[in-house]
Amino acid sequence: MSPMVGALSLLLVILAGLAVLPFFGSGYVVSFSIQVFMWMALAGSWNLISGFTGYVSFGHVAFFGVGAYTGALLITKAGWHWLLAGLAGSLPAAALALVIGYPCLRLKGPYFAIAMLGLNEVVRALVSYFEGFTGGGSGVSLPPILSIVPVYYAMGAVAMAVTLLTYRIITCQFGLRLLSIREDEMAAEVMGINTARLKLYAFLLSAVFPGIVGGFYAWYASHVEPLSVFPLLTTITMIIMCLFGGKGTVFGPVLGAGLLSVFQELVWARFLFVHQAIFGALIVGVVLLMPRGILGVLQERYRLPRTI
Amino acid sequence: MKRHWFGALLVAAMVAGLATSPAAQELKVGASISLTGTYAKPGKYTQEGYLLCEKEINDKGGLLGRKVRFIIYDDKSEPPTAIKLYEKLITEDKVELVLGPYSSPVTNAASTVSEKYKKLMMATLAATTSIWERGFKYLVMTISPAEVYLEGLVDLAVERGLKTIAVINEDTLFSKAAAKGTIELAKKKGVQVVFHEAYPKGTTDFSALLIKIKSLNPDVIAAGSYFDDAVATTRQMKELDVNPRMYGVTVGGDLPEFYQLLGKTAEFVYGSSQWEKSLPYPGIKEFVANYEKMWNREPVYHSAAAYGGCQIYAEAVRRANSLDSDKLREQLLKLKVSTAFGDYQVDERGFQIAHKMVLHQWQDGKKVTVWPAAVAEGKPLYPTPPWQRR
Repeated sequence: MSPMVGALSLLLVILAGLAVLPFFGSGYVVSFSIQVFMWMALAGSWNLISGFTGYVSFGHVAFFGVGAYTGALLITKAGWHWLLAGLAGSLPAAALALVIGYPCLRLKGPYFAIAMLGLNEVVRALVSYFEGFTGGGSGVSLPPILSIVPVYYAMGAVAMAVTLLTYRIITCQFGLRLLSIREDEMAAEVMGINTARLKLYAFLLSAVFPGIVGGFYAWYASHVEPLSVFPLLTTITMIIMCLFGGKGTVFGPVLGAGLLSVFQELVWARFLFVHQAIFGALIVGVVLLMPRGILGVLQERYRLPRTI
Repeated sequence: MKRHWFGALLVAAMVAGLATSPAAQELKVGASISLTGTYAKPGKYTQEGYLLCEKEINDKGGLLGRKVRFIIYDDKSEPPTAIKLYEKLITEDKVELVLGPYSSPVTNAASTVSEKYKKLMMATLAATTSIWERGFKYLVMTISPAEVYLEGLVDLAVERGLKTIAVINEDTLFSKAAAKGTIELAKKKGVQVVFHEAYPKGTTDFSALLIKIKSLNPDVIAAGSYFDDAVATTRQMKELDVNPRMYGVTVGGDLPEFYQLLGKTAEFVYGSSQWEKSLPYPGIKEFVANYEKMWNREPVYHSAAAYGGCQIYAEAVRRANSLDSDKLREQLLKLKVSTAFGDYQVDERGFQIAHKMVLHQWQDGKKVTVWPAAVAEGKPLYPTPPWQRR
C-alpha cells in the first residue's frame, strides 16, 4: 500500500505545483507549459485509438485543425467566449470522426493509416477551398490575447481529462476489449466482441480532445491557417511522444510529451543544427531498444501495475 | 558556409552562457528568426543583416551610451514557437527592444506577444497588409506591402498598350495579397483580368492551370509565387509553349538560384524585389561592402531590409532618447529617412508607405533593374520572343 500512497502524494504535489505555476513562472514558462499540455492531450488522444487498438491514425491532426477552425470562427464571427468556442471545437471533430470512422475502421492495418493520411489532406483542401468562410490560404486572425494564464489552466484541464479518461478506460472492460483487438482482432471477434463498434467508440473519444485542444490553440496563437493547423508533422509528433512514453498506458503519453518537449527545448537552443539529428537518433534508439516505451520498460522491470 | 554555422552556434552558445551571467548596462535587443525549417534560407540572410547592424551600432559607441547585444533564437519557421520565444525574450531575457522575425505568418503570431507587453516591434520582413489591419499600436513595418509587388509589371504592360492579364498565386497569406493587389492595379489601369486562380502550397504540376491560360491567350501572366513554384511554372510554360508578351513572378525570380536552375529559360522573365544592390540609396555601397566582408557573400533584399529596419529603429531610439515604447512609436511615425534599404515612412497604423519596389528582368544571365525608370539600369527587352527562339 505504501508505494501506492507515495506515488499518489507525488502526483498531488506535482499537480499543486502546476496549479500555482503561473503565479511564479515567467510568461515564457507559462507559454512553454501550455504547449507541453497541448502535446500531452494530443499524444494521449492518439493513444486512445492507436495505442489501445493498434489502429495507427496518421491523420489525427485533422481533428485538431477542425477544432482550431471552429474555435477561431466562433470567436471572430459569432463573438463567442474563447472557452466555449474551444469546447465547441469538439463537436465537428466528433462528427468528422463518426463519418470517417464508420467506414474506415473496417480497413485493416496500413489501409487505415493511409485512409487517415488522406483524410487530413482532404480536410485541409476543403478548408482552403471555402475561402469566403474560412479565409482560404490566409486563414483567420483572432484578436490578440491579453493573458495566456486562463489558457494555461484550460489546456492543463484537457490534458488531465484525457489522462483520467485513459485511466478509466484501462481499468474497465472496455479497455480490456480494446487491448484484445490490438493483440488479435480475429480472436476478439470470435470471443463475441463487437470490434467494429468498440473501435468506433475509441475513435470518437480520441477525436473529441484534439478538437478542444485545437479550439484553445486558435485563441492562444491568435491565428489559424491551413498550413499551421493541418501539418502532418503534428500527427507524427503525437505518435512519437506516445511511443516514447509507452503506448497503451495511462502516463506514457504524459511522460513522452513532457520529456520530449523539455529535451527539445534544452537541446535545440544549444545545438541549433544538430538537434534534429540528436532527436532522430534518440527516437530510433528508443524504438529499437525499448519498443514499449519508457513506461513499458519500467512496468516490466519493476513489476509496476499495468494501470499506470 | 562554415562561418555562418559558426556564427549561429556562437549566438546560441552566447545565449546559453549569458543566461546565467547578466552583463550590466548592456542594451538587449531580441528577435526570433527562422534559422531552420521552411524559411531557413531567407531567415539566415535576415539574421546576418541584424548582426551587421548590431556590429555597426557598437562600433559607433552603442545606443544611449550603452553597448547593444542582440539575442536571436531560432523559431523553426513555426508561428507557435515564435510566440513562445518572444515571451521568453520579453519576460526572461528582459530585452528592451524587439525586432521582427522573418515572414508574414511568423510576424503575425509574434506581434501578438509584443503588443501584449507593449513592446514596440520593428517588423522588418512582413509584407502582408492584413497584419496592420488588426489595430495594433506597437508594430512598425519596413518593407513594401505584398499588394504592390507587381506594380512595375502592370505599369510596363500599360505603357506598351497591353490589354489582358492572367493572375495565378499560391494560396498563402503573402502570395494571395500580392495577387489581389495586382488585380486591383490592373483594373485601375484598364487592363482586363481574364483569369485568376490560386493553387495550394506545394503544387508541382501547373499544366492544368497553364493550359487554361493558354486557351485565353493573355498578354501578361503574373504569378504570386515563392521560389519553387516560380521555377516550376516557368519551366512548364516553356514545355506547354504558353507565350504571353510579358511574364513576371513576385518572389523567387530575384534569387541567383532562379537563373542557375532555369538557365536560358529564365531569360526575359520579370521578377520583383524590395531591393537591389545597384540602387542609388544612401550608404548602400558601404552596406554591401561591409556585409560581404562580414559574411563572405552578397546581401539579398532580406539582408538589406533587416539591416535597414534595425538602423531605423536605432535612429528612433536616438531621437526619442528613450526606450519607452510610446515615445519610440511617436518618433517612428514622424520619421522620414532613407537608409541603404531605401525610403522609410509609415502612416498612423505603422504601415509602410514610402518604400519602393523595383522590377527586374533577366537579360543574358544578368538581373537588370528595368522599373521604375528613375533607378533603372537598363531598358526592358521587348517584345518577348516565343520560347523556341530564346
